[in-house]
Amino acid sequence: MASIKDENHWKRLVDECFRREAGPREVVPGPAQDLIETGVLDSMGWVSFLRALESASGLSELGALLTERTPSFESIFQVFKDAQTERPSTEHDFSSSTRPATQTSVFISSSCAVVGSRKIPSEEVDRAFGMPPGKLRLRAGIESLAYAAEDENELTLGVRAAQQALHTVACGVQELDWIIATSETHRGYPSLAAQLHSQLLARENCGALDVGGACLGLVNGLAVAQGLIASGQSRTIAVITSDVHSRTFRPGLVTGEFGGLFGDGASAFLLRAKNGAASQQAYGLGEFFFGCAGQYAGAIRVADAPNGNLDVHFDGEALSRAAITRLEKVVREIELRSGIARSSLQGLATHQPNPRLVTLLAKQCGLPQDKFPVVARLFGNLGSSTCGVALDAILQSARSQAGQWGPIFTASLGPGLLFGGGWLVPA
Amino acid sequence: MTKLLITEITRMGPAYCVIGLQREKDKIRSIRPVTATANSWMHFPHQRGDVLQCALAPFSGAKPHVEDRVSTHGFQKESTVPEPELVTYMRKAEIASTLPELFGCVLHENKSGSGLYAMPHEATRSVCGTQTRNLRLELCANEVRATLSLSSGEVLRDLPVVDRDWRDFIEAALAEGRGANRVARLERFLNSPFHYKVLSCPHHFIRLGLTRPYHDLCWLMLDTLIPLPKREWLEEF
Repeated sequence: MASIKDENHWKRLVDECFRREAGPREVVPGPAQDLIETGVLDSMGWVSFLRALESASGLSELGALLTERTPSFESIFQVFKDAQTERPSTEHDFSSSTRPATQTSVFISSSCAVVGSRKIPSEEVDRAFGMPPGKLRLRAGIESLAYAAEDENELTLGVRAAQQALHTVACGVQELDWIIATSETHRGYPSLAAQLHSQLLARENCGALDVGGACLGLVNGLAVAQGLIASGQSRTIAVITSDVHSRTFRPGLVTGEFGGLFGDGASAFLLRAKNGAASQQAYGLGEFFFGCAGQYAGAIRVADAPNGNLDVHFDGEALSRAAITRLEKVVREIELRSGIARSSLQGLATHQPNPRLVTLLAKQCGLPQDKFPVVARLFGNLGSSTCGVALDAILQSARSQAGQWGPIFTASLGPGLLFGGGWLVPA
Repeated sequence: MTKLLITEITRMGPAYCVIGLQREKDKIRSIRPVTATANSWMHFPHQRGDVLQCALAPFSGAKPHVEDRVSTHGFQKESTVPEPELVTYMRKAEIASTLPELFGCVLHENKSGSGLYAMPHEATRSVCGTQTRNLRLELCANEVRATLSLSSGEVLRDLPVVDRDWRDFIEAALAEGRGANRVARLERFLNSPFHYKVLSCPHHFIRLGLTRPYHDLCWLMLDTLIPLPKREWLEEF
C-alpha cells in the first residue's frame, strides 16, 4: 500500500475507479455525500466500485471495513487512513528488508489433516500387486493404507483439510492472501492451487501458487509462505498438501515394492503474521534451510513412459540408506542452527518413506519412536502430505496437553535428492 | 385461476419481486406475477412454499423476463409445502449446471468492477436453479454478496443476495439491539456455522436471477438460497 501521506495518489485512485463505475461524465461527488442515498450509485454499483478500489489499492478488506459506515468518499479515505495506521508502509523501509524473516513472527494459526477414507489392510495391497501376502507388513512395517474413495481426489481431500483448518479458527476464506499448494500426484491444468482457489471460493485477488519438491513440498511451501508474510505483502496464507497415489502408482503400472508403499492424504496449515497479544497459544515458524544432494539422484526417478505408463526407477536399498543418512544430517543441522536440543522436542514431523525407516531414524537420532507421529504405519507414505499429517498430529497433541509445549523439528526429502528442514517454537 | 407455488421472494430497495412455479401438463416452469403498473410488489404477505391461487394474464414479458405475467386478481393462499418438497419442485423447473446453460447465453464479467451480466437480447430466461459445490456470503459495505462455485467448477463472484429471508436475517443480525461487535460476530457466523448449516443441508439449492435491464445489461443475482435462515440461528452468535 502506498503511504497515506500521498493523498493525491489515493484521490486519483478513487476518482479513477469511481469514473469507471459511474461513467466518465459523472461529476465526482463531494466527500461527505451519501452515494447511494443521493442516487449517484445503486448498491450494485457501490460494491462494484469498492471491488475495483480493493484491487487497485491492494486493501482487500476495504468492503468489509466499510460495513456500518456511510457510503461516501469520506468513509473510504478514513478506512485508508485507519489501515495505514495499523499496517505501516514498508516502502523504502530498508531496515525491514535487511531483517531476517524470523524477526517477523509467522505462526501456524490452525491445521488439519485428512486421509483417504478407505482403509486397506496391507495384505490386500500385497495381493493386488501380486506380492506374497504379508510382504509390506514384514519388510516395510506397513499395517494398512489409506486409499481415496471413488469420490475423493487431490482436490476434495485438499479442500476438506483447508476448510477444517479455516473453520477451527473461524477464519473466512476471504482473509487468505495466498493459497500455496503442493502435490506429487496431481497432474494437469488448472493446477491444484488454482482448483483449490476456485473450490474454496477465495478472493479473486488471493494468489494461488503451486510448489514442487514432492515429499519435500510441505517444507518448501511453509518457507515460501513465511517469506511472503515476512515481506509485509501478505498476512494470511493457507499451505495445502494433497496426494492421491493410489490412482497413479497402480498395480500393472509400477511394482508392488514401490507402489505398495503409498497411501492418500492431505493437510492444510493456516499461517498468519503474529500481531501482538491478539493470537492464541500457537507455534511460530523458525528458520528453514534447503539443499540438493545430487549424488543420490539416481536412487529414484519417475517419468512418463512413451506407452502412457510410468517409467519408475526405484533402488530401494540405496534410497533407504540415503534417506536415513540425510534425514539424520538435517536433524543435526536444525539442532545446530536453532540451538534447540532434540531431547526437548514435542515431536518431529519428518518424511516417513516407510515405518521401518522411521524406526531406524529414531534410533540414529537417539530419540524414542513416539516422538515421530504414526503416519506411514497406518496410512502409507503420503508423499508431500506425510510431513503435513505428522506435523498436524504433533500440533494437535500439543493443543490437547496441559503444560508447556516443546519445539518441533521438521525435515524431509524429495527426489533429487532434495532435502530441507526447519523448526517451530511455541509462540 | 392459476396455482402458483411460491419459490422466490426477493427484495431490492423497498419492493418485492415474486416468482412461483406453475405446473403445465408434465412440465413445471417459473412464473413471475407482476402488477399492471410495476414489476414488483410493495406488500407481499406470503412465504416461500405457499401455494397461491391467482389470476394471470396469458402474455409473457419481454426478453429475458419471459416469465412475467400480469396479475389481474389478488392472491389467495391454498396450502403450504415444506422446504424439502419445495426444492423437489424447484429441481424439476429450470435448472442448469454450467454457466452458459444458466440463462441460455454467454455471461460477461464486469471489467471495471465486480459481478456478472447477460445481454438482454441474448438471454432466454431470467431465472434458473442450480446445484453448488461451495458457497459463501460476505458483507461488503452494508451489502450482502455471495460467491459460489457451480457443480461444473465455474465460480460466480460477488453476486448481490436479494433473497428476502436472507436479507432480513442479515439485517436482524446487525440490529443495534444485538449489542457490541455485531459485524464481527456476523462475519464469524458467515465464515463457519453458516457454511456448515447451508452446505450440509440435504436439500441445499439455489436459484439465480437476472435483473431488469440496467444501462442495457442484466446483472446476475442470488434470488434464493435454500435452506432459508432460521430465527434461532441468531441466538448462536
